Amino acid sequence: MTGQPAIDPILASVLQRRLKSITEEMGLTLLRTTRSPILNEARDFVTGLYDAKGRMLEQTEYIPVLAFALQPACEHIIEYFGDDIHDGDVILHNDVFSGGNQNNDVAVFKPVFHDGRLIAWSACKGHQADIGGAVAGGYNPEAREVWQEAFRIPPVKVIEAGKRRDDVWNLIFANVRLKMVEEDIKAQIGGSVVGERGVKALAARYGVERFLTHVDYLFETAETMVRKEIEAIPDGIYDGESQAFYDGVRDGSVMTCKLRVTVSGDTVTFDFTGSSPQTPGFVNAPYSATASALMLTFLMLINPDIPHNDGITRPINIVNPEGSYLNAAYPAATTFGNTLTGPTSDAIFRAFAQAMPHMVTAAWNRQMGAAVTGNDPRNDDEKFVDILFLALKGGSGATRGADGYDHIGLINCAGGILAQDYEMFEIHNPFFLRQHEYLPDSAGAGRWRGGLGVETEFVMNGNEQTAIAFGDGIVEDARAFGLFGAGNGSLNIMEFRQPDGTTRTPRSKEIVRDLPPGTVFHQQAGGGGGYGDPFERPAELVAEDVLHGILTVDSARTDYGVIIDPKSLTLDVSATEQTRRNRS
Amino acid sequence: MTFRIGIDVGGTFTDFLLVDGAGQSRVFKVLSTPQDPSEAVLTGLREMAAAYDRSLDDFIDAVTLIVHGTTVTTNAVLTGNTANTGLLTTRGFRDALQMRRGVREVPYDNKYLAPVPIVPRHLRLPITERIDHDGNVVDDIDVKDIEEAAAALEGSGVEAIAICFMHSYANPDHERTAGEAIRQAIPDAYVSTSAEVLPQVRFYERTSTTVLNVAVGPILGRYIGNLTRKLDDCGFAGVLLIMQSNGGVTSPAVVKTLAATTLLSGPAAAPAAGLAYASLHGVDDFVTVDMGGTSFDAALIKDGQPEITTHGTVNRFALALPSMEINTVGAGGGSIAWIDDGGLLRMGPQSAGADPGPVCYGRGGTNPTCSDANLTLGYLSAGYFAGGRMPLDAERARHAIETRIAKPLGMDAVEAAAGMYHLMNVNMASAIQEISVKKGWDPRDFLMVCAGGAGPVHAAMIARELEMTRILIPKESSIFCAAGMLRSDLKHDFVRSLNTVLDRDRLGATALSGPVAEMEAEGKARLSHEGVADERIGFKHAIDLRYAGQYHEVSVEVPADAVHGFDEQRIRDTFHAAHNRLYGYDLADEGAAIEVISLRVTATGLTEKPPLIEEPRRSAQPDESADKGRRPVYLPEAKAFRDVAVYDGDRLAHGNRVTGPAIIEQVNTTVFVPTGFAVACDAYGSFLMTDEAAA
Repeated sequence: MTGQPAIDPILASVLQRRLKSITEEMGLTLLRTTRSPILNEARDFVTGLYDAKGRMLEQTEYIPVLAFALQPACEHIIEYFGDDIHDGDVILHNDVFSGGNQNNDVAVFKPVFHDGRLIAWSACKGHQADIGGAVAGGYNPEAREVWQEAFRIPPVKVIEAGKRRDDVWNLIFANVRLKMVEEDIKAQIGGSVVGERGVKALAARYGVERFLTHVDYLFETAETMVRKEIEAIPDGIYDGESQAFYDGVRDGSVMTCKLRVTVSGDTVTFDFTGSSPQTPGFVNAPYSATASALMLTFLMLINPDIPHNDGITRPINIVNPEGSYLNAAYPAATTFGNTLTGPTSDAIFRAFAQAMPHMVTAAWNRQMGAAVTGNDPRNDDEKFVDILFLALKGGSGATRGADGYDHIGLINCAGGILAQDYEMFEIHNPFFLRQHEYLPDSAGAGRWRGGLGVETEFVMNGNEQTAIAFGDGIVEDARAFGLFGAGNGSLNIMEFRQPDGTTRTPRSKEIVRDLPPGTVFHQQAGGGGGYGDPFERPAELVAEDVLHGILTVDSARTDYGVIIDPKSLTLDVSATEQTRRNRS
Repeated sequence: MTFRIGIDVGGTFTDFLLVDGAGQSRVFKVLSTPQDPSEAVLTGLREMAAAYDRSLDDFIDAVTLIVHGTTVTTNAVLTGNTANTGLLTTRGFRDALQMRRGVREVPYDNKYLAPVPIVPRHLRLPITERIDHDGNVVDDIDVKDIEEAAAALEGSGVEAIAICFMHSYANPDHERTAGEAIRQAIPDAYVSTSAEVLPQVRFYERTSTTVLNVAVGPILGRYIGNLTRKLDDCGFAGVLLIMQSNGGVTSPAVVKTLAATTLLSGPAAAPAAGLAYASLHGVDDFVTVDMGGTSFDAALIKDGQPEITTHGTVNRFALALPSMEINTVGAGGGSIAWIDDGGLLRMGPQSAGADPGPVCYGRGGTNPTCSDANLTLGYLSAGYFAGGRMPLDAERARHAIETRIAKPLGMDAVEAAAGMYHLMNVNMASAIQEISVKKGWDPRDFLMVCAGGAGPVHAAMIARELEMTRILIPKESSIFCAAGMLRSDLKHDFVRSLNTVLDRDRLGATALSGPVAEMEAEGKARLSHEGVADERIGFKHAIDLRYAGQYHEVSVEVPADAVHGFDEQRIRDTFHAAHNRLYGYDLADEGAAIEVISLRVTATGLTEKPPLIEEPRRSAQPDESADKGRRPVYLPEAKAFRDVAVYDGDRLAHGNRVTGPAIIEQVNTTVFVPTGFAVACDAYGSFLMTDEAAA
């Protein structure tokens, strides 16, 4: 490829840096101009540039779950509008049955023209604070169809050749609860304009043909990098399986992800054929959500430095037949789809454990979260809402050469969403924290141990309090599994201890209503799975975990064969050697 | 004759700027001595004495002021060599320090580890006590817990102890009780309570800052002790001041108790230096850029005010004390060129550092670097690097580029070198965008003040990337920070958290003036103690505000009378305007509620600045003595070498004009003047370069 005379490799490097810089500037524009804390605090958005065919040129994602959720929608829009795409158009989209990944993730697409020719697309997608549907915010475990979740937006022009279509615009925002969302969509349009301007400047500076040839070359270089990574994986067929638990409707329901990974030369195929049928509730993923889950997990297995463009998806084939809970058919409810990243990543790690044991990661703790709403008596009973990020962040799985990451949280976000600051948490909400600390013995034992989970306890002093629980990881088989002889992480526990002495333990998807003031929220977010034989973990490291109080003396003995004096917490070297030797 | 000296200890060199009473300045550089940085300081002083034909004692007698920037604390944290440290904290929250709110900075790398906490868990001891966010005591402090903790920490050989309890900014009583008990029990320990260091809401940030403070406290104390002893030994009777991260200086006595204020002080003097040079041209909106061997620092100054941040980090731990907002990226003369698996050229962030250094240094480096490219392209002269004291090996540099970069890319060495140079400029331009565009400023409205040995080779082409048209290259550009230190004022920051709604009727007219007056009194006392006369003491006021419901606050500067008199409308207007600039909108029309999070006072003691000498104006034509002939230099727009004029920068005089393409060589730096640019020499020995093609 380097031999092609038309390619200036330096220009390619420069273009890549510039495209990255444009998507970053688009991201900064969103951070600066959006109002919802989901966007400017949790940074739940992605900005990207695509070529005329909808292939990703470059993007900036703050949270991995959105990483590959824009391209399918862009491709759909191009097909849908065909020739009817004009300079100055702005297209809105959230429909999960035409390339969207989650109803609340609304995308803005803007075509980029140069001398009358469509050369690229600029797009911003962000998680909106509301998008209609039966409950504010969109997480509705009681939904049975998409319409109870959201207002559907298939590709629609809200601005046509520079002129806003007020009728369409007003129709959309008449179906959304919060005025803020309209402003945030305007901000996303602003971000897309920034991207458009950037690409136009590049095309003008370097000439459009030169620009496009070099973009193709960038695809090739990223593709080459991924192919090299895949070539290093031994050819073969690797099966992985995992379960997700409870669909929010049927007691005891279990959804199985059946994954067959086929590595052949420099390509890899992910085949989900045979996975459980779609569920009647909202525990379903649209195609794009599963594809995104797959990509973010796969990227954790290879060189993390590869630029994100269309090239990296080319060597990857996905077979995901419609009708399963991992590619639910119209008109399924799907808001839980992003959260299925946890169990889907489990299946992927299990499959690759056979193929590339040196890179694979043990399972991460699955998300078990709650959003609490209520009225704040300190503030004239004004409404408050909080997603309890601090309580849900468990540990990640261990990998060869590295213990799991403590308190990192759901794999979808990979450490990108922060726990609330304790003092701000109490100032914002009528809550009084009693505890937020690492949970001893939560990490899966291993040569490299899993990441630690956390234990949280606080008093809920609001009125009219409701908690929406959404998650998994509360039944035995949902533990974060260890690999190669290592132990599993601990389970999630969530409970509400009411002042009258009763305790309410929600199912993994449930709306818990009428929690009186004085209710104590208690949660354990579990740890990640370990990696490798715990008896091979250096005894000094085990002793250090005991000294630090994150591993008990008993667990050190039973899980690691390491004998620690319970009084002095010192390592008994000879007893340890004997115990470890005597294991049959 | 008296002298003032600015001393900047860097990773490779320790820089000195010596200014005499008449304002004449001289630059000295010696190799740094990382084991004991004060060694290099003494070596430098000896060299200076020798340069004036004096004995060290005689020379030191004439020195009235030494301003010193040190990185001993930063290095201690980065290398994990901090003091053996303990932490007392509210029961239930002992892990906040290590958790760092659960962030992993690199999303896709599962082998990326969290940093080792400065205090291990068994030395983070829980104390039963609790205060709520209004400052009410919920649980009394358990004195027995403190006694046990003291015994445990003493038994573990701890020499530094941080005390951080929940909501202590609202009520420091429990921390004070614990602090007194600990200081009594372990009198030798370095102890700080969080309310002493940073009485500001946000538990993790306050804990981390307090822990950093005590963890480097004993180290800074020993270093300063060492340095002052050495200075005393040679009879130094002048004033010693230490550079802080906030861009101000302070006395050794004060900095010893607030050691963390030195942690980000490395590049903090640059804005002060920039201000001194830029103001001579009537400019107070500028960007300073400083390109050294391994890193590139950029800072933005608007209306003469540097941007200040409270979101600093050291080794990934939060440092919430106010510091200069400086964007540091891994781009320097030593940045290594490499080709990724996909076949694309990349520059840095790995650096060849000073050892082995770039290939052209001939010290065993084999990876082609930015400096090797600059030499290959003729921007640097093999025979005049460091004034000719360090010959460069151009052939070796070219060969490395040829084999490692050019061949794999299918091009010749010059094309490859031009690509390396270009990519470096793009990377550095991006770093400037981060501090300008991101903050709502347009870089085209700013002057670029360019420093660092490697900077002026790149300045013009970086400017072109950003469409910036004016660049100032100060006379002392290669030791910019040392120069800035001599122009920094004494500066101390104070903060009080309020966490309430901005409402004069509800809070009362004195709600702001009370805490502000208290902070001013503290500032005045501290500055008086440092020997600053009353008439040289000034205060600046800022309020951290946000709209009700927001998560992050904006710190806005407000005039003294607005805060003392609680002029609510003026405070509101100032906040709306600042919010609009930063985030593109405000809620002034909606009448949104505003919350006051914290009040800030910065107390400044003006120092005496060395005078600048104005040279008489000469003709536009440089003197013949400045003419160093011509040599072939690669011109980016022509994509070819051309013979261009070379000037001796140290012989250019006020009024001289040099039009590009040209090279201006100085002992410690080289300026590349591309086609379309012109350089005017100003009255103070600095170069003002203008993009005339763009004008």
